[in-house]
Amino acid sequence: MILRRVLAAIPMLFLVSLVSFALMRALPGDPVDVMLGSSQKEMPAEDLKLLRQEFGLNQSPAKQYMLWLSGWVKSDNVASANALGRSYRDGRPVKEVIIERIPATLTLVGVALLISFTLGLLLGILSVILNLKNKTADSAVTAALLALYSAPNFWLAFIALAFLASPYSAALIHLPILGLHPPGAEPSLAYAAEYLLLPAIILSSRRMAKVALYVRALALDELSKEYVVSALAKGLSLKSVITNHVLKNCLIPVVNLAGLSLPALIGGSVLIETIFCVPGMGRLMVESTFGRNYPVLMGLVMLYGTIVILANLLADVLNNVIDPRLQQ
Amino acid sequence: MNSAKMTAIKKNPIAARKTGPKVNTKLIAGAVCLGLLMLIALSPLFSNLILPIFGLTIEPPISNLSAVNLAPSLNLPHILGTDALGHDLVKMIAYGALGSLSVGLCSALVAVTLGNIWGAAAALAGGAIDSLMMRLVDALLAVPSIILLLTLSSILSAPELVEHFPPFLLKALGVTNYTDGLLPYFIVILAITATTWLESARVARARVLAIKEEDFFLAAQALGSSFIELLSKHLLPALATTAVVEGTLLVSDAIIMESGLSFLGLGLGPSTPSWGSMLKDAQSCLTAGNWWAAVIPGLLICFTVLSVHMLGEGFFASKRARGKIPS
Repeated sequence: MILRRVLAAIPMLFLVSLVSFALMRALPGDPVDVMLGSSQKEMPAEDLKLLRQEFGLNQSPAKQYMLWLSGWVKSDNVASANALGRSYRDGRPVKEVIIERIPATLTLVGVALLISFTLGLLLGILSVILNLKNKTADSAVTAALLALYSAPNFWLAFIALAFLASPYSAALIHLPILGLHPPGAEPSLAYAAEYLLLPAIILSSRRMAKVALYVRALALDELSKEYVVSALAKGLSLKSVITNHVLKNCLIPVVNLAGLSLPALIGGSVLIETIFCVPGMGRLMVESTFGRNYPVLMGLVMLYGTIVILANLLADVLNNVIDPRLQQ
Repeated sequence: MNSAKMTAIKKNPIAARKTGPKVNTKLIAGAVCLGLLMLIALSPLFSNLILPIFGLTIEPPISNLSAVNLAPSLNLPHILGTDALGHDLVKMIAYGALGSLSVGLCSALVAVTLGNIWGAAAALAGGAIDSLMMRLVDALLAVPSIILLLTLSSILSAPELVEHFPPFLLKALGVTNYTDGLLPYFIVILAITATTWLESARVARARVLAIKEEDFFLAAQALGSSFIELLSKHLLPALATTAVVEGTLLVSDAIIMESGLSFLGLGLGPSTPSWGSMLKDAQSCLTAGNWWAAVIPGLLICFTVLSVHMLGEGFFASKRARGKIPS
């Protein structure tokens, strides 16, 4: 079963790579044209030809694609660096430019995932309990969650930023903002945790609201099932019915949602990183979009696709582990 | 037995069956809110096209450097205050609503149409064509939508590509040597559509596959209905219901996407204001304590997304209650 899922992921990865390669070549003109712009008119024809040869552009598109693909797995040498392309901005190989940005993004998204699911689960449970005890309070919580869900992340981000920068906040909280470490200091994990806290909270806000609303809907649905009445009639307390039976049954769809949340969180990290100046993949993405830095852009599309496919695979496998019904 | 326990039991269908039709409050509230927003969005058109007939005019927002960053107050003429360039916020909101909502509606419309055609075609074709078409959708879905959105908007607006656009299109969009006209508008809609049609293609395919197995469809086939008849009488009506629900939810997605793009500066261009571009402009003066220019458009985006969401959910619930959508 798990093996079948893994095998199904391979053609997906292949297609994602094909799409990102095709997008890069959808533009009229080849990378050399784009890189040199109008200045190529001033270059001698042999030099241009040599440059094209160096980038492997004299070969057939299929061969170029294979070369580009092999650039990802091959060890670092000049040929593979050229196959993946070089950043138009500073001429460094795409692989190098992208890889140094991965840790910041993964940390941010990981922390945001953790926050959104722990807080979301807690708020969802709270809302279910309120629904049974005090309808008005439940409506208020639900309305607040819906409002949070419909607020764009980047808007919350710069409102929070403005608040922290204002003189009023200094007395309330002191959180470092912008970047990953104090200027001049060596980057370290402790600094990163401190600096990424606010971006992660804001990044997780929409997801958290979604998880809470989802858990609420699932749990209320479960509560209307017959086994709940029989458990209550048997004399179990409401608390133990909720924690032992209802929540257990809600866990499987929630794990599924966690896998599906990753694309949304990774996508959201693009704007959050840009606003909070986090040196991650998302900011690289925005920089490359503005600089029309196509080799980096396509490398990022490929990498983002790969991360999402692997995350979905992981969610599938996890689901298999926690849900015995799926193992048959 | 405490009261919470009683409620838990009362929730149960065996203990107490809920009967009778329920007023669909979500549908009504969503429709009313959205109607209100449409009214705001249409007000610039109204003031440009209809009021002049009666000899009245409302000036579009113009920058007024003698009245920058005015706080909201009850004093006319700037009830909601002005932004950093002295634009009246009430007018900016109306013009921004036109930009944001029209992008949302257009791209949702195109995306749902494209998605449904693609999904239905895949389901009807079946076999290898079906799996090829759907694997492509899966692959595109694996890339987070904003990544695809940024890439596409970068590629589509590349000068090398724009040169190859057909001349009639450029003329229709009002592109000249001096101005981009509506080109950024067109590109934003194209990019948003290209990233949002995927989910509806999946839903449409599943729906058509299900209908293909149903008795009424098999009966119609056996009775010799032509393909056109099958399509127009059985498939399209079934798809239309789900398409409306998807479409409304896509509108809110598209509005958020547009605001994100505009916020980054890849949006509708300087000639077409939108709530997203208002947020972008307001960001710079927010630290000076001028919160209104940043807070009001953001709240409006929330409000729109919320009402679109309610409308979609209400519509879904009412259709499901009537059995038009399988639960």
